[in-house]
Amino acid sequence: MAGSSQGSFRNQALRAGHRYDPSAASRPILVFEDVYKSYRADQPVLRGMSLVIERGEFVFVTGPSGSGKSTLLRLIHRTEQVDDGRILFLGRDVSRLPDSAIPALRRNIGVVFQDFRLVPSWTVYDNVAIALEVIGLPQRLIRTRVGEALERVGLAGRGSDPARVLSGGEQQRVAIARSLVHEPALILADEPTGNLDPQLAIDILGLFEDIHETGTTVLFATHDRSLLDVRPRRIVILDEGKATDVPPDMGSLDDDDDDLDDDDYSDVDVDVEAA
Amino acid sequence: MDNSFANKSGFGTWRAGRSDWRLQVLSVFSLSVAFICLAASLLVVTNIESLRDRWSRAGRATVYLKDGAKDPDIAALSAALEHTEGVSRVRRITPDEARREVVQTDEALAALPPEAFPGSLEVAFNDSITDEQLKTIALKLRALPAVETVETYERWTERLSSLLGGGVTASACLALIVLAAVVSVVGSTMRLLLQRRKIEVEVLRLVGATDGFVRRPFVLEGASQGALGAALALAMLGVLFLIVKDHFDQQLANMLGITPSFLPWHLAIGMVALGGVLGAATAFVSLRKLASV
Repeated sequence: MAGSSQGSFRNQALRAGHRYDPSAASRPILVFEDVYKSYRADQPVLRGMSLVIERGEFVFVTGPSGSGKSTLLRLIHRTEQVDDGRILFLGRDVSRLPDSAIPALRRNIGVVFQDFRLVPSWTVYDNVAIALEVIGLPQRLIRTRVGEALERVGLAGRGSDPARVLSGGEQQRVAIARSLVHEPALILADEPTGNLDPQLAIDILGLFEDIHETGTTVLFATHDRSLLDVRPRRIVILDEGKATDVPPDMGSLDDDDDDLDDDDYSDVDVDVEAA
Repeated sequence: MDNSFANKSGFGTWRAGRSDWRLQVLSVFSLSVAFICLAASLLVVTNIESLRDRWSRAGRATVYLKDGAKDPDIAALSAALEHTEGVSRVRRITPDEARREVVQTDEALAALPPEAFPGSLEVAFNDSITDEQLKTIALKLRALPAVETVETYERWTERLSSLLGGGVTASACLALIVLAAVVSVVGSTMRLLLQRRKIEVEVLRLVGATDGFVRRPFVLEGASQGALGAALALAMLGVLFLIVKDHFDQQLANMLGITPSFLPWHLAIGMVALGGVLGAATAFVSLRKLASV
């Protein structure tokens, strides 16, 4: 896995449109193998977590606050580094990538956050175009693809608006456009509806589902249970540092509360690998 | 700009600088203050150098005559000088004319005794005459019975050379001060810009920008601040120079024999280039020190 394979990774493997290994298409897009992560020695966040995400899946990652949902996404994006274990993205161990290969990794992943992470002083167009500018695409192509992305999120014609004048829902649409404009293999959504009202949250979820329809794998972290009930999707619960799949026959996690808490996870003890 | 070079070279992210124009202007102004000191010293050095060259090249000499020198001897000497190779003009000044010229300048000197104003021959030489030829002529003139002494103004040239050396040393010191000022101003500006653009940098990292891509706009801004600071300094000094030149041009030409000139274009361009390179290098080093960028 080391040395030469990392070299080829840097040059080819994660570049859009390049598949140097034909068998990669049949592999899971994301594999967590016995992943450990802690910010403090006495408070581990992930404790030997294992999880497999297949290509083209839409997976909800849920769990109580502090269960490690955001950490999980940050580890994939290499904003954080694992303490132990492996995370394979497109067959490559993300945790062992050299620093110089991290930009290439991130160009294959779209990320959407609860707080949008837009540059307020830039226009909508600029905020989306930056994801293509870092790749070095010609401006003509960037204009076309940004226009298409904005149309997909319902912001056609709003490119010249400064990001700061947009509503929360619109800002999140811009963030989604930015995450999909470079056609990544995987989109990570970290509580993307956390700052939005319920109706807007469902609209935004609909956008992610549209993106998923085109074949993109989506990992959607949320603790808003009302979103989990909208459509039947694979649900992975993070609790006590491990990932657990909710079996399809369990249906939704029925409860009167809209937000999930520790009690909601007490019945679920099926380990993902056993499942 | 409509190609990938625009993005790869960092111009695609130049938008980062739009909202920080006030900070940029302040930085450019601070740099121009530093550069104006350097430019002013270079201006002085340039003009001293041309003055020295003028005086050493287009030599002149004053042949002071003895009190008892007779008119036929003086006329013969004058005629001989006029036919000497390298001599362009010979003008005789009698003791009375010398007195008039001096008293015209300062009336207090009118009380000086008549022997304080000896007669003389003012000799002007061609530009082509060498120092050696001038020295030979002076040596021969000193040996003549009608000649008291010969002043070739060589000492003035030596003094100007010494002054020029001092000016060059002062300019070198000022260049070091300017270097420190550029490093300090651009470094501080980069730290401030980085703070203000934290979210931009975060977004760039998020979408997979390389270190080079993130740093490039900052380095370009450092370069432009340095170059603009130097250019502004030259512009301000140029305006001051024009104002002073209009007032003293004629007097200086009469007194020193040269018309003051501004910095030669290659020196001005060199200073702007120096500002750009220093600004870019400082920005690059400053950002390297900040681990997160």
